[in-house]
Amino acid sequence: MSAILDLVLGVVTSIGGFVEAGSISTAAQAGSEFGFQLLWAIAVATVMLAMLVEMSGRLAAVSRRSLAAAVRERFGIHFQMVPLTAELIIDVLLLAAEIGGVAIAVKLLTAVGFQWWVLPIGLLVWLVLWTLGFGPIEYGIGLLGLVTLCFVYSAWRLQPAIGDIGAAFVPSLPTHDSTRYAYLAVSIVGATVSPYLLNFYAAGSVEEKLTEKELWVNRSTAYLGMCFGGVVSMGVLVTSAMVLGPRHIIVDSYEQAALMFVPVFQQWAVPLFAAALGVGCFGAAVEITLNSGYVCSQVFGWSWGANKPRRDAARFTSAFTIVLIMSVALALLGFDPLRLTLLSVALTVVIMPAVVLPFLVLMNDEKYVKQHTSTAIGNGLLAALTVAGAIMAIVVIPLELLGG
Amino acid sequence: MDLVRDLLDKRVVDRNGREMGRVDSLILEAREGAPPRLAAIELGPAVLANRVHRLLGRWVAALEHGFGVDEGRPLRIPVAAVLEIQDHVKVDLAFGETSAATVEQRLRRWIRSIPGSS
Amino acid sequence: MRANAPIPAAALENGELRLDRLLGRRVLGRNGEPVGRLEEFRAEKHGTGWVVTEYILGAAGLMERLGVGVRLLFGRRGGGYVAKWNQLDISDPDRPRLTCSTAELRRL
Repeated sequence: MSAILDLVLGVVTSIGGFVEAGSISTAAQAGSEFGFQLLWAIAVATVMLAMLVEMSGRLAAVSRRSLAAAVRERFGIHFQMVPLTAELIIDVLLLAAEIGGVAIAVKLLTAVGFQWWVLPIGLLVWLVLWTLGFGPIEYGIGLLGLVTLCFVYSAWRLQPAIGDIGAAFVPSLPTHDSTRYAYLAVSIVGATVSPYLLNFYAAGSVEEKLTEKELWVNRSTAYLGMCFGGVVSMGVLVTSAMVLGPRHIIVDSYEQAALMFVPVFQQWAVPLFAAALGVGCFGAAVEITLNSGYVCSQVFGWSWGANKPRRDAARFTSAFTIVLIMSVALALLGFDPLRLTLLSVALTVVIMPAVVLPFLVLMNDEKYVKQHTSTAIGNGLLAALTVAGAIMAIVVIPLELLGG
Repeated sequence: MDLVRDLLDKRVVDRNGREMGRVDSLILEAREGAPPRLAAIELGPAVLANRVHRLLGRWVAALEHGFGVDEGRPLRIPVAAVLEIQDHVKVDLAFGETSAATVEQRLRRWIRSIPGSS
Repeated sequence: MRANAPIPAAALENGELRLDRLLGRRVLGRNGEPVGRLEEFRAEKHGTGWVVTEYILGAAGLMERLGVGVRLLFGRRGGGYVAKWNQLDISDPDRPRLTCSTAELRRL
């Protein structure tokens, strides 16, 4: 009975916590520029994420270690330096983008410039992490995040042609601007499959003491939660495609993206979009910050945990505080949050093989997962997708940056 | 036991189960006419950095010196103090009494001064 | 920073060396030909401590620890040797040498 409750809570939390700056910005741009055509990218990314998240939980439940800890033990510090530094750098970028996203959301509600909100928001993120344990943080983020279901509602109300949507799940070549299409496809994958999620999920499973017996809960939560969460992302894309696309509105800013709610929500369009953006980004900001503490502590062997009094894990607390400070400083520099978001998620795809490939090796090492190893097909698929994605990203990012 | 696979980089906990760190390095004693003996395990950011690159190790050691936390570091735990090696390494020490706790204790003093630290 | 004390050496006594100084080093045969890289140290319990009884020399080097490449692509180790403790001379840790011929080593 309590396992069912865990499952339901897990799925609801996953749905609520799914969209954030990356998914909203990439889906909004994809919808306005290419209609439904990039829905397949969201679908592929969601399935990849579901597989990886399930593996994270499985690794944590069976080996009782998070991903970062297992990588250090299995591969040594030499190897780990690469994914570790890459991940921390991207986390700082992404965190700055999420904080920027919340700041824009507040600006949409108050008309006060977004840079004024960066510091208070950073402080609020820190306060949440200072005072709350893992459970309240996760459930809080997940439940509040259900406001993002407004994207699904909006997409449904706009009555898109089901046939058109179905066809969009088959990858197709664009009729215009191939570089931009490829860049968005890559960014969608990067926005959905954020590397921080892998370690975060594993560390969270360790915090919640997930056991081998509950692997079915983990599997169900991962697949159901991520797939339903993916539907929210699709809601953003479909709404954008039906509202912004035909009006040739290019999403150059979150303010323009907010216009997608006007037909369905009218005078509530901007406040609702702001709420969804704000809550989604805030949740992600909290998770990224917490995860940076996890990763540093687990690699170096410090005492860690959101469920411990903060002073009993002083280095853990200091680590995530420092990362947060760096991101707030970056956000204060005033880079356009939308552009920063897109850059971060695209770079994510470049480093993804460094994070995913060792992960796959671990998932086949009986010393870590005992008999619960992954299937060859699953491994092959993930390996191929991450490497292909990285190659594409390396080709496309410079082209986009030079052309854009 | 394979030293690299089963001992290096493993978690180290003290006799009370508290996290001490990870096995950052191992010390071997080369002996004439006898197999090398595992002498001790070592914990410390400078030793860890040294594994990545010698210069990085020096730099971290300089940082430790600059912050005044380098006394007793790297922490050297003789093999005799190792209680068991399984999923992690348990040693017959108390974390708080070793140099592995220096930075943690320093930071704890700062954090304690902020309300709500417990 | 103390001028002549890179932390590592300062803490070591005579005859002691850090394992990571040996790890990954190329091992040369009696004639100076490369045999492989030191990848693993097999130890056995000896009284209350452990002694190193064998060294694993791998052709793939540190890739072995990565497990990628060799194992995933070829399904098995890329070939290597096991040297008994007395078949390797580690008195110069930066240049470990075999004390026997390559043929006397056990193949992996």
